[in-house]
Amino acid sequence: MMYQPPAGARDLLPLDVAQKCWIEQHLQQVFQRWGYHRIITPTLERLDTLVAGGAVEPQTVIQVWDAEEGVLGLRPELTASIARTAVTRMEGATHPQRLYYNANIFRQQQAHVSGQHEFYQAGVELLGSGGLLADAEILLLLADCLSAVGVQHWHVILGEADLTRSLLNPFPEAIRSDVRRAIAQLDRVGLANLSLSPELKDHALFLLDLRGEPAQVLQKVSQLPLDPPQHEAVTNLKSLVEILAPLPSLTLDLSLIQTFDYYTGVVFEIISDAESGQRILGQGGRYDQLLGLYHPQGKMMPGIGFSFNVEHLHQVLLGLGQLPTQTPASHWLVVPESEAAIAATFRHAQHLRSQNAQLPLTRVEVELSQKPPAEIRTIARQQRIAQIAWVNAQGSVTIESLA
Amino acid sequence: MLTVALPKGALLKDSIHLLKSVGLDFSAFLDSSNRQLQISDPSGTAQGLLVRAQDVPVYVEYGQAQLGIVGFDVLQEKKPNIAQVIDLGFGHCRMSVAVPSQSPYRSAIELPPNCRVASKFIHCAHDFFCQLDIPVEIIPLYGSVELGPITGMSEAIVDLVSTGRTLKENGLIELDCLYQSTARLIAHPLSYRLNQYHLQHWLDEIGKRSQPQVTHSP
Repeated sequence: MMYQPPAGARDLLPLDVAQKCWIEQHLQQVFQRWGYHRIITPTLERLDTLVAGGAVEPQTVIQVWDAEEGVLGLRPELTASIARTAVTRMEGATHPQRLYYNANIFRQQQAHVSGQHEFYQAGVELLGSGGLLADAEILLLLADCLSAVGVQHWHVILGEADLTRSLLNPFPEAIRSDVRRAIAQLDRVGLANLSLSPELKDHALFLLDLRGEPAQVLQKVSQLPLDPPQHEAVTNLKSLVEILAPLPSLTLDLSLIQTFDYYTGVVFEIISDAESGQRILGQGGRYDQLLGLYHPQGKMMPGIGFSFNVEHLHQVLLGLGQLPTQTPASHWLVVPESEAAIAATFRHAQHLRSQNAQLPLTRVEVELSQKPPAEIRTIARQQRIAQIAWVNAQGSVTIESLA
Repeated sequence: MLTVALPKGALLKDSIHLLKSVGLDFSAFLDSSNRQLQISDPSGTAQGLLVRAQDVPVYVEYGQAQLGIVGFDVLQEKKPNIAQVIDLGFGHCRMSVAVPSQSPYRSAIELPPNCRVASKFIHCAHDFFCQLDIPVEIIPLYGSVELGPITGMSEAIVDLVSTGRTLKENGLIELDCLYQSTARLIAHPLSYRLNQYHLQHWLDEIGKRSQPQVTHSP
């Protein structure tokens, strides 16, 4: 009998963990520097909570039956949980609320049978603040995170869900969701085959192609007959694009839209460069309708956030040589020379551990094998241990450097 | 470098001719002595991958190829997350339900509930009978699907038909057509959005040279 983890689950061995911690610590430091506080929400939520926003399909959630609670699900993302707790448990808090998380998420994979189930995400939610300033903070914070972990080449694809949705209004309601699906999935052929008048077909293809260098896209969209709210959205985008000028590469993409109504303003994806396989490093957007869904009285509150896909970041950083390639070696191996020296050995090891409190960490191992000294030396060298402290029965210590 | 996934089999020749007309020459794949699966275009602008038709959308979805050419039938069956950019017009065929000519059925809706349907396209077959609200048992086969009804293993088949000759010679008749299929140019969504490797330029060029048209081979 072989005991294997379920398909889609994976073990993280010490080196994987060291690398993952490196990434998470660098991200958390940035989150904290921008004034964000960590929040921890339950791994299991009621299924209703997870799907309320409309972005999560129940069949993509790994469901758990609880005799008293009914159907629960392993969280497929964090925003629903944070929205729920923010409007019910933190109601008295002053706004804006700056929250960050670093957590595992679970997804039932549909298409790829043995695809991964458990992932890690690190991200932020900025609650109670709408408008340009909050949008800019989120995207600049994201840029700061990427520079902190050492990813220099990346692209932002920036859209505006509300604006794009309103640009779909000219389509008859019966066919609008087909047009939207085709645009969301970049299905040009499907769009061309829809039964639309020539003018509407041109408009649909115009929307599907509405992406590229920000100034050009803004100019193109400005030529449309815009109503006042659309005009305001375009003006806001223009200001945001100006603020984001320092970003390495920004594509304004007004065809970036989902088939469901979840995002209500800016929406974005962060893509690694072609050499590292164009992975989606992170994604996010503004969701001004979401918090109201969880509020007992339906009180609306704006919100915006993003999450990093830690596995993808991990892969890209491995390629860049940014991550530790070994688990940290111990500084000391403390060896009892005889059985009578055991107590003194543990005492000396403890003494070494408590030294140099200002240093990050002194790693001290006690030798357990009672093997001959030559063998102990060989193993210690293999394990990259810097020094051996030989302790005799009288408690006196001989230091041997292996460097 | 721009990478194009090309399907082995029926669509290969037309695909290579089309790409050659826009300046990407992968005709080495047509050389019968060629055993290489990855070649560069002589001008050094792009490389081609020679893969099974079903695998074309896989390479494109994962971004190993930014472009690919594949039949609509494969896209309908696998529902990959790719951008379907151009209907190339060649490789015309249709996905059809067929039964032995002596069987009493003259329309798919007449098939009895819980009957057996053999197919290589199990998702297409499943979705079609779901829409008709007829519960069926799908028997997955990988080739020579016509043998399903001939041997009595299944009542019907769902398979690609181009001329109808194979059906006829095996004593089968077409009942209903699920959909028409042609070759499609597909793109990796993120590369498409970011216009990597001047993708839009190549799409424009290919678009100019491929008007969707029904071309039946005799």
